[in-house]
Amino acid sequence: MDSPSERAIELRISNNKAYVWDVEDLALLRAKHHICGVLTGTLPHVSQQNVFLGMPLVLMPEEVVLLVENGLAVLVDDPTAHRKPSRSELEKWNTERRALVKTQLVKEGAKEGGGVSAPTGSRSMSEEAIRKRKAREEKRAAAKSPAEGGEDTPVFVPSTPAQAQATVPVAENSNLAHATYTITVPANSASELGWYSPEDYKYSTVKAAMQAGIWSYPSSAHERAKCKVFQDLWKKGHYMGGGIKFGGDYLVYPGDPLRYHSHFVASVIDSPAATISPMEIVAHGRLGTATKKAHLLCNWDEEKQTVSYYSVEWAGFG
Amino acid sequence: MESHPSYKSLSEILPRYPQTAGSIFQTFNDITLAQQWTDVEVIDLPVISRCVFRGRRPKLNPLLYVVPCSLSESLSISWFDEAFDNLGKPDQVYLAINTPDSSIVYYKITPGIVKPPV
Repeated sequence: MDSPSERAIELRISNNKAYVWDVEDLALLRAKHHICGVLTGTLPHVSQQNVFLGMPLVLMPEEVVLLVENGLAVLVDDPTAHRKPSRSELEKWNTERRALVKTQLVKEGAKEGGGVSAPTGSRSMSEEAIRKRKAREEKRAAAKSPAEGGEDTPVFVPSTPAQAQATVPVAENSNLAHATYTITVPANSASELGWYSPEDYKYSTVKAAMQAGIWSYPSSAHERAKCKVFQDLWKKGHYMGGGIKFGGDYLVYPGDPLRYHSHFVASVIDSPAATISPMEIVAHGRLGTATKKAHLLCNWDEEKQTVSYYSVEWAGFG
Repeated sequence: MESHPSYKSLSEILPRYPQTAGSIFQTFNDITLAQQWTDVEVIDLPVISRCVFRGRRPKLNPLLYVVPCSLSESLSISWFDEAFDNLGKPDQVYLAINTPDSSIVYYKITPGIVKPPV
Protein backbone atom coordinates (compact mmCIF):
# COMPACT_ATOMS: atom_id res chain seq x y z
CA MET A 1 0.00 0.00 0.00
CA ASP A 2 1.17 3.52 -0.77
CA SER A 3 2.10 5.63 2.19
CA PRO A 4 -0.78 8.05 2.75
CA SER A 5 1.27 11.10 1.75
CA GLU A 6 2.19 9.70 -1.66
CA ARG A 7 -1.22 8.80 -3.01
CA ALA A 8 -2.84 11.30 -5.34
CA ILE A 9 -6.06 12.60 -3.86
CA GLU A 10 -9.14 12.25 -6.07
CA LEU A 11 -10.80 15.63 -6.48
CA ARG A 12 -14.34 15.10 -7.71
CA ILE A 13 -15.28 17.68 -10.30
CA SER A 14 -18.85 18.66 -10.85
CA ASN A 15 -19.87 21.81 -12.70
CA ASN A 16 -16.28 23.16 -12.65
CA LYS A 17 -16.01 22.88 -8.89
CA ALA A 18 -13.71 20.49 -7.03
CA TYR A 19 -15.13 18.56 -4.08
CA VAL A 20 -13.47 16.35 -1.48
CA TRP A 21 -15.85 13.79 0.03
CA ASP A 22 -13.46 11.71 2.09
CA VAL A 23 -12.40 12.84 5.57
CA GLU A 24 -9.04 11.11 5.16
CA ASP A 25 -8.38 13.21 2.07
CA LEU A 26 -9.32 16.38 3.93
CA ALA A 27 -6.88 15.55 6.72
CA LEU A 28 -4.11 14.79 4.24
CA LEU A 29 -4.73 18.00 2.29
CA ARG A 30 -4.64 20.13 5.40
CA ALA A 31 -1.90 18.52 7.44
CA LYS A 32 0.47 17.49 4.68
CA HIS A 33 -0.22 19.83 1.77
CA HIS A 34 -1.28 22.98 3.66
CA ILE A 35 -4.44 23.24 1.60
CA CYS A 36 -7.55 24.17 3.58
CA GLY A 37 -10.50 24.56 1.21
CA VAL A 38 -13.89 25.40 2.66
CA LEU A 39 -16.42 23.00 4.20
CA THR A 40 -19.82 23.45 2.57
CA GLY A 41 -21.90 20.46 3.60
CA THR A 42 -25.05 21.21 5.54
CA LEU A 43 -28.15 19.29 6.55
CA PRO A 44 -30.77 19.05 3.81
CA HIS A 45 -33.63 20.07 6.10
CA VAL A 46 -31.77 22.92 7.85
CA SER A 47 -29.76 24.32 4.97
CA GLN A 48 -29.89 27.81 6.46
CA GLN A 49 -27.66 26.73 9.34
CA ASN A 50 -24.15 27.58 8.18
CA VAL A 51 -22.21 27.88 11.42
CA PHE A 52 -21.04 24.28 11.56
CA LEU A 53 -20.55 22.79 8.13
CA GLY A 54 -19.29 19.37 7.14
CA MET A 55 -18.28 17.39 4.08
CA PRO A 56 -17.91 18.02 1.22
CA LEU A 57 -14.92 20.31 1.16
CA VAL A 58 -14.85 22.72 -1.78
CA LEU A 59 -11.46 23.87 -3.01
CA MET A 60 -10.56 27.22 -4.53
CA PRO A 61 -9.64 26.81 -8.20
CA GLU A 62 -6.08 27.99 -7.44
CA GLU A 63 -5.77 25.19 -4.86
CA VAL A 64 -6.94 22.65 -7.43
CA VAL A 65 -4.43 23.81 -10.06
CA LEU A 66 -1.63 23.76 -7.49
CA LEU A 67 -2.43 20.23 -6.30
CA VAL A 68 -2.70 18.82 -9.81
CA GLU A 69 0.43 20.57 -11.10
CA ASN A 70 2.41 19.19 -8.17
CA GLY A 71 1.11 15.66 -8.71
CA LEU A 72 -0.70 15.64 -5.35
CA ALA A 73 -4.18 15.21 -6.78
CA VAL A 74 -6.06 14.03 -9.86
CA LEU A 75 -9.34 15.33 -11.22
CA VAL A 76 -12.29 12.94 -11.55
CA ASP A 77 -15.17 13.64 -13.91
CA ASP A 78 -17.66 12.70 -11.22
CA PRO A 79 -21.04 12.82 -12.98
CA THR A 80 -19.72 10.62 -15.81
CA ALA A 81 -18.00 8.24 -13.40
CA HIS A 82 -21.45 7.32 -12.10
CA ARG A 83 -22.60 5.20 -15.03
CA LYS A 84 -26.17 3.96 -15.39
CA PRO A 85 -26.60 1.02 -13.01
CA SER A 86 -27.72 -2.33 -14.40
CA ARG A 87 -30.91 -3.95 -13.16
CA SER A 88 -29.04 -6.52 -11.08
CA GLU A 89 -26.87 -3.82 -9.48
CA LEU A 90 -29.95 -1.84 -8.59
CA GLU A 91 -31.66 -4.90 -7.17
CA LYS A 92 -28.60 -5.67 -5.07
CA TRP A 93 -28.54 -2.09 -3.84
CA ASN A 94 -32.22 -2.25 -3.03
CA THR A 95 -31.89 -5.56 -1.18
CA GLU A 96 -29.07 -4.19 0.95
CA ARG A 97 -31.05 -1.07 1.69
CA ARG A 98 -34.08 -3.15 2.73
CA ALA A 99 -31.95 -5.36 4.92
CA LEU A 100 -30.58 -2.28 6.64
CA VAL A 101 -34.08 -0.97 7.28
CA LYS A 102 -35.16 -4.34 8.59
CA THR A 103 -32.24 -4.44 11.01
CA GLN A 104 -33.20 -1.03 12.26
CA LEU A 105 -36.83 -2.05 12.72
CA VAL A 106 -35.90 -5.22 14.56
CA LYS A 107 -33.66 -3.24 16.91
CA GLU A 108 -36.38 -0.65 17.41
CA GLY A 109 -38.94 -3.38 18.04
CA ALA A 110 -36.71 -5.13 20.56
CA LYS A 111 -36.28 -1.86 22.43
CA GLU A 112 -40.04 -1.43 22.72
CA GLY A 113 -40.51 -5.07 23.65
CA GLY A 114 -42.62 -5.78 20.62
CA GLY A 115 -42.07 -7.56 17.33
CA VAL A 116 -41.17 -6.14 13.95
CA SER A 117 -44.69 -4.84 13.71
CA ALA A 118 -44.26 -2.62 16.77
CA PRO A 119 -43.72 0.66 14.95
CA THR A 120 -47.01 0.26 13.14
CA GLY A 121 -48.81 -0.74 16.28
CA SER A 122 -47.38 2.06 18.36
CA ARG A 123 -48.60 4.61 15.92
CA SER A 124 -51.96 5.84 17.15
CA MET A 125 -53.71 5.79 13.83
CA SER A 126 -57.45 6.07 13.74
CA GLU A 127 -59.56 3.74 11.65
CA GLU A 128 -60.51 6.68 9.52
CA ALA A 129 -56.90 7.60 8.74
CA ILE A 130 -56.03 4.03 7.76
CA ARG A 131 -59.02 3.87 5.46
CA LYS A 132 -58.08 7.16 3.77
CA ARG A 133 -54.46 6.12 3.29
CA LYS A 134 -55.53 2.85 1.67
CA ALA A 135 -57.74 4.74 -0.75
CA ARG A 136 -54.84 7.04 -1.66
CA GLU A 137 -52.50 4.14 -2.29
CA GLU A 138 -55.01 2.40 -4.51
CA LYS A 139 -55.50 5.56 -6.50
CA ARG A 140 -51.74 5.94 -6.98
CA ALA A 141 -51.33 2.34 -8.08
CA ALA A 142 -54.13 2.79 -10.60
CA ALA A 143 -52.50 5.91 -12.02
CA LYS A 144 -49.18 4.16 -12.41
CA SER A 145 -50.31 1.00 -14.19
CA PRO A 146 -50.54 2.43 -17.74
CA ALA A 147 -46.75 3.01 -17.71
CA GLU A 148 -46.17 -0.65 -16.85
CA GLY A 149 -43.46 -2.39 -18.82
CA GLY A 150 -42.19 0.84 -20.41
CA GLU A 151 -38.43 1.29 -20.86
CA ASP A 152 -38.48 4.69 -19.17
CA THR A 153 -39.72 3.64 -15.76
CA PRO A 154 -37.82 5.56 -13.09
CA VAL A 155 -34.70 3.72 -11.93
CA PHE A 156 -35.63 3.63 -8.30
CA VAL A 157 -38.90 1.81 -8.90
CA PRO A 158 -37.32 -1.62 -9.29
CA SER A 159 -40.38 -3.29 -10.77
CA THR A 160 -44.07 -2.79 -11.34
CA PRO A 161 -46.23 -2.71 -8.22
CA ALA A 162 -47.56 -6.18 -8.95
CA GLN A 163 -44.06 -7.70 -9.13
CA ALA A 164 -42.97 -5.89 -6.01
CA GLN A 165 -45.89 -7.47 -4.20
CA ALA A 166 -44.73 -10.83 -5.35
CA THR A 167 -41.09 -10.55 -4.29
CA VAL A 168 -41.68 -8.89 -0.92
CA PRO A 169 -44.05 -10.51 1.53
CA VAL A 170 -47.13 -8.41 1.96
CA ALA A 171 -46.72 -8.02 5.71
CA GLU A 172 -43.15 -6.74 5.44
CA ASN A 173 -44.05 -4.36 2.67
CA SER A 174 -46.72 -2.67 4.70
CA ASN A 175 -44.31 -2.43 7.63
CA LEU A 176 -41.79 -0.54 5.53
CA ALA A 177 -44.46 1.82 4.31
CA HIS A 178 -45.63 2.76 7.80
CA ALA A 179 -42.55 2.44 9.95
CA THR A 180 -40.05 5.18 10.63
CA TYR A 181 -36.39 4.48 9.94
CA THR A 182 -33.24 6.36 9.06
CA ILE A 183 -31.90 6.43 5.54
CA THR A 184 -28.12 6.75 5.45
CA VAL A 185 -26.81 8.54 2.39
CA PRO A 186 -23.16 7.56 1.91
CA ALA A 187 -20.76 10.50 1.49
CA ASN A 188 -18.44 8.40 -0.58
CA SER A 189 -19.64 6.79 -3.82
CA ALA A 190 -16.52 4.65 -4.20
CA SER A 191 -17.23 2.22 -1.37
CA GLU A 192 -21.02 2.10 -1.65
CA LEU A 193 -22.10 2.19 -5.25
CA GLY A 194 -21.21 -0.66 -7.61
CA TRP A 195 -21.76 1.50 -10.68
CA TYR A 196 -19.24 4.16 -9.67
CA SER A 197 -16.01 3.71 -11.62
CA PRO A 198 -13.72 6.75 -11.40
CA GLU A 199 -10.75 4.88 -12.90
CA ASP A 200 -11.70 5.66 -16.50
CA TYR A 201 -12.44 9.31 -15.84
CA LYS A 202 -9.32 10.50 -14.05
CA TYR A 203 -7.18 13.38 -15.32
CA SER A 204 -3.72 13.97 -13.92
CA THR A 205 -3.04 17.28 -15.70
CA VAL A 206 -5.03 20.49 -15.87
CA LYS A 207 -4.64 20.48 -19.64
CA ALA A 208 -6.16 17.02 -20.03
CA ALA A 209 -9.08 17.97 -17.78
CA MET A 210 -9.62 21.10 -19.87
CA GLN A 211 -9.62 19.06 -23.07
CA ALA A 212 -12.14 16.71 -21.54
CA GLY A 213 -14.30 19.76 -20.86
CA ILE A 214 -14.62 19.31 -17.08
CA TRP A 215 -12.30 22.10 -15.95
CA SER A 216 -11.66 25.63 -17.20
CA TYR A 217 -9.34 27.37 -14.70
CA PRO A 218 -7.10 29.30 -15.39
CA SER A 219 -8.49 30.71 -18.61
CA SER A 220 -7.37 34.36 -18.49
CA ALA A 221 -4.20 36.32 -17.74
CA HIS A 222 -5.61 37.34 -14.37
CA GLU A 223 -6.46 33.74 -13.43
CA ARG A 224 -3.00 32.56 -14.50
CA ALA A 225 -1.41 35.31 -12.38
CA LYS A 226 -3.53 34.21 -9.42
CA CYS A 227 -2.38 30.60 -9.79
CA LYS A 228 1.29 31.67 -9.94
CA VAL A 229 1.02 33.95 -6.91
CA PHE A 230 -0.89 31.29 -4.95
CA GLN A 231 1.76 28.69 -5.80
CA ASP A 232 4.61 31.02 -4.82
CA LEU A 233 3.09 31.89 -1.44
CA TRP A 234 2.37 28.19 -0.82
CA LYS A 235 5.97 27.25 -1.63
CA LYS A 236 7.15 29.80 0.91
CA GLY A 237 5.20 27.80 3.52
CA HIS A 238 2.16 30.02 3.95
CA TYR A 239 -1.43 28.82 4.28
CA MET A 240 -3.99 30.72 2.21
CA GLY A 241 -7.69 31.31 2.68
CA GLY A 242 -10.21 33.39 0.77
CA GLY A 243 -9.64 37.12 1.16
CA ILE A 244 -13.15 38.44 0.65
CA LYS A 245 -13.60 39.41 4.30
CA PHE A 246 -10.72 41.86 4.04
CA GLY A 247 -11.12 43.01 0.46
CA GLY A 248 -8.28 41.01 -1.06
CA ASP A 249 -7.77 37.85 -3.08
CA TYR A 250 -6.28 35.80 -0.22
CA LEU A 251 -5.63 35.90 3.46
CA VAL A 252 -2.09 34.71 4.13
CA TYR A 253 -1.46 32.75 7.34
CA PRO A 254 1.91 31.78 8.81
CA GLY A 255 0.51 28.34 9.77
CA ASP A 256 -2.77 26.48 9.98
CA PRO A 257 -5.60 29.06 10.12
CA LEU A 258 -7.03 27.23 13.13
CA ARG A 259 -3.89 28.13 15.07
CA TYR A 260 -2.86 31.51 13.67
CA HIS A 261 -4.30 34.86 12.69
CA SER A 262 -3.42 35.94 9.18
CA HIS A 263 -0.59 38.45 8.84
CA PHE A 264 -1.41 39.59 5.33
CA VAL A 265 -4.23 40.36 2.96
CA ALA A 266 -2.96 39.66 -0.55
CA SER A 267 -4.17 41.10 -3.81
CA VAL A 268 -2.91 39.82 -7.14
CA ILE A 269 -1.65 42.16 -9.85
CA ASP A 270 -1.47 40.69 -13.34
CA SER A 271 1.63 42.46 -14.62
CA PRO A 272 4.23 45.08 -13.65
CA ALA A 273 2.51 47.57 -15.96
CA ALA A 274 -1.00 47.08 -14.54
CA THR A 275 -2.47 50.28 -13.10
CA ILE A 276 -2.61 50.69 -9.33
CA SER A 277 -4.68 53.61 -8.11
CA PRO A 278 -3.37 55.42 -4.99
CA MET A 279 -6.92 55.04 -3.66
CA GLU A 280 -6.42 51.23 -3.61
CA ILE A 281 -3.28 51.68 -1.55
CA VAL A 282 -5.17 53.83 0.95
CA ALA A 283 -8.12 51.45 1.15
CA HIS A 284 -6.03 48.29 1.47
CA GLY A 285 -3.38 49.85 3.67
CA ARG A 286 -5.75 51.40 6.15
CA LEU A 287 -7.96 48.31 6.52
CA GLY A 288 -4.90 46.11 6.95
CA THR A 289 -3.42 48.34 9.62
CA ALA A 290 -6.73 48.49 11.50
CA THR A 291 -6.82 44.69 11.58
CA LYS A 292 -3.09 44.27 12.41
CA LYS A 293 -2.32 42.96 8.95
CA ALA A 294 -0.14 44.31 6.20
CA HIS A 295 -1.47 44.39 2.68
CA LEU A 296 0.52 42.45 0.10
CA LEU A 297 0.60 43.59 -3.50
CA CYS A 298 1.56 40.39 -5.33
CA ASN A 299 2.81 40.90 -8.84
CA TRP A 300 3.21 38.23 -11.50
CA ASP A 301 5.80 39.00 -14.16
CA GLU A 302 5.08 36.76 -17.15
CA GLU A 303 8.31 37.78 -18.90
CA LYS A 304 10.63 36.97 -16.02
CA GLN A 305 8.35 34.19 -14.68
CA THR A 306 8.68 35.58 -11.17
CA VAL A 307 6.42 36.80 -8.40
CA SER A 308 7.39 39.96 -6.50
CA TYR A 309 5.82 41.53 -3.44
CA TYR A 310 5.33 44.92 -1.87
CA SER A 311 3.93 45.23 1.66
CA VAL A 312 1.70 48.23 2.33
CA GLU A 313 0.95 49.74 5.74
CA TRP A 314 -0.28 53.05 7.04
CA ALA A 315 2.75 55.21 7.85
CA GLY A 316 1.54 56.15 11.32
CA PHE A 317 1.66 59.90 10.74
CA GLY A 318 0.00 62.49 8.53
CA MET B 1 3.35 79.60 -5.21
CA GLU B 2 6.47 81.57 -6.22
CA SER B 3 6.02 84.01 -3.31
CA HIS B 4 5.71 81.21 -0.70
CA PRO B 5 8.71 81.01 1.68
CA SER B 6 9.16 77.32 0.79
CA TYR B 7 9.41 77.98 -2.91
CA LYS B 8 13.10 78.83 -2.81
CA SER B 9 14.09 75.25 -1.88
CA LEU B 10 12.11 73.84 -4.81
CA SER B 11 12.59 76.58 -7.39
CA GLU B 12 14.90 74.42 -9.54
CA ILE B 13 12.70 71.31 -9.46
CA LEU B 14 9.14 72.58 -9.81
CA PRO B 15 9.39 74.12 -13.33
CA ARG B 16 10.76 70.80 -14.61
CA TYR B 17 7.74 68.73 -13.51
CA PRO B 18 4.59 70.78 -14.03
CA GLN B 19 2.42 67.61 -13.77
CA THR B 20 3.60 66.74 -10.28
CA ALA B 21 4.60 70.21 -9.03
CA GLY B 22 1.45 70.54 -6.92
CA SER B 23 2.02 67.25 -5.07
CA ILE B 24 5.73 68.00 -4.62
CA PHE B 25 5.09 71.47 -3.16
CA GLN B 26 2.25 70.27 -0.94
CA THR B 27 4.25 67.35 0.43
CA PHE B 28 7.34 69.47 1.08
CA ASN B 29 5.30 71.95 3.08
CA ASP B 30 3.60 69.18 5.05
CA ILE B 31 6.73 67.30 6.10
CA THR B 32 8.78 70.43 6.89
CA LEU B 33 6.06 72.57 8.50
CA ALA B 34 3.33 70.24 9.82
CA GLN B 35 5.29 67.01 10.48
CA GLN B 36 8.41 68.95 11.56
CA TRP B 37 10.92 66.75 9.72
CA THR B 38 14.55 67.81 9.88
CA ASP B 39 17.52 67.60 7.47
CA VAL B 40 15.12 67.45 4.52
CA GLU B 41 16.92 67.07 1.20
CA VAL B 42 15.50 67.22 -2.30
CA ILE B 43 16.46 64.31 -4.58
CA ASP B 44 15.67 64.65 -8.26
CA LEU B 45 14.20 61.46 -9.76
CA PRO B 46 13.58 62.05 -13.49
CA VAL B 47 12.50 58.39 -14.17
CA ILE B 48 9.28 59.02 -12.30
CA SER B 49 9.06 62.74 -13.23
CA ARG B 50 9.31 64.20 -9.77
CA CYS B 51 11.62 64.77 -6.85
CA VAL B 52 11.76 62.71 -3.67
CA PHE B 53 12.50 63.98 -0.17
CA ARG B 54 14.87 62.48 2.36
CA GLY B 55 14.83 63.53 5.98
CA ARG B 56 14.32 62.59 9.62
CA ARG B 57 11.13 62.42 11.62
CA PRO B 58 11.19 64.38 14.88
CA LYS B 59 13.25 62.58 17.55
CA LEU B 60 13.99 59.68 15.19
CA ASN B 61 17.38 59.07 13.65
CA PRO B 62 16.88 57.03 10.44
CA LEU B 63 16.82 58.83 7.11
CA LEU B 64 13.47 58.22 5.49
CA TYR B 65 12.30 58.70 1.92
CA VAL B 66 9.04 60.35 0.91
CA VAL B 67 7.69 60.00 -2.62
CA PRO B 68 4.94 62.52 -3.42
CA CYS B 69 2.08 61.61 -5.74
CA SER B 70 -1.45 62.74 -6.48
CA LEU B 71 -4.57 60.73 -5.71
CA SER B 72 -5.53 60.82 -9.37
CA GLU B 73 -2.27 59.39 -10.72
CA SER B 74 -1.97 55.88 -12.11
CA LEU B 75 0.84 53.97 -10.45
CA SER B 76 2.12 50.46 -11.15
CA ILE B 77 4.52 47.86 -9.83
CA SER B 78 7.17 48.90 -12.37
CA TRP B 79 6.78 52.50 -11.15
CA PHE B 80 7.57 51.31 -7.61
CA ASP B 81 10.48 49.22 -8.92
CA GLU B 82 12.00 52.24 -10.66
CA ALA B 83 11.60 54.48 -7.63
CA PHE B 84 13.29 51.92 -5.35
CA ASP B 85 16.07 51.14 -7.83
CA ASN B 86 16.92 54.81 -8.41
CA LEU B 87 16.95 55.58 -4.70
CA GLY B 88 19.54 52.85 -4.09
CA LYS B 89 17.09 50.21 -2.79
CA PRO B 90 16.12 51.65 0.61
CA ASP B 91 14.32 49.34 3.10
CA GLN B 92 11.10 51.28 2.64
CA VAL B 93 9.65 54.48 1.27
CA TYR B 94 6.69 56.56 2.33
CA LEU B 95 4.21 57.33 -0.39
CA ALA B 96 2.63 60.75 0.18
CA ILE B 97 -0.78 60.73 -1.49
CA ASN B 98 -2.06 64.29 -2.13
CA THR B 99 -5.68 65.26 -2.66
CA PRO B 100 -6.98 68.47 -4.29
CA ASP B 101 -8.17 69.79 -0.89
CA SER B 102 -4.51 69.66 0.27
CA SER B 103 -4.96 66.78 2.72
CA ILE B 104 -2.17 64.21 2.57
CA VAL B 105 -1.98 60.60 3.67
CA TYR B 106 1.27 58.66 4.02
CA TYR B 107 1.62 54.92 3.36
CA LYS B 108 4.68 52.82 4.01
CA ILE B 109 5.69 50.67 1.04
CA THR B 110 8.19 47.89 1.74
CA PRO B 111 9.59 45.52 -0.89
CA GLY B 112 9.02 41.85 -0.10
CA ILE B 113 6.78 40.10 2.41
CA VAL B 114 7.24 42.02 5.64
CA LYS B 115 5.24 41.21 8.75
CA PRO B 116 3.39 44.12 10.37
CA PRO B 117 4.62 45.17 13.83
CA VAL B 118 2.80 43.32 16.62
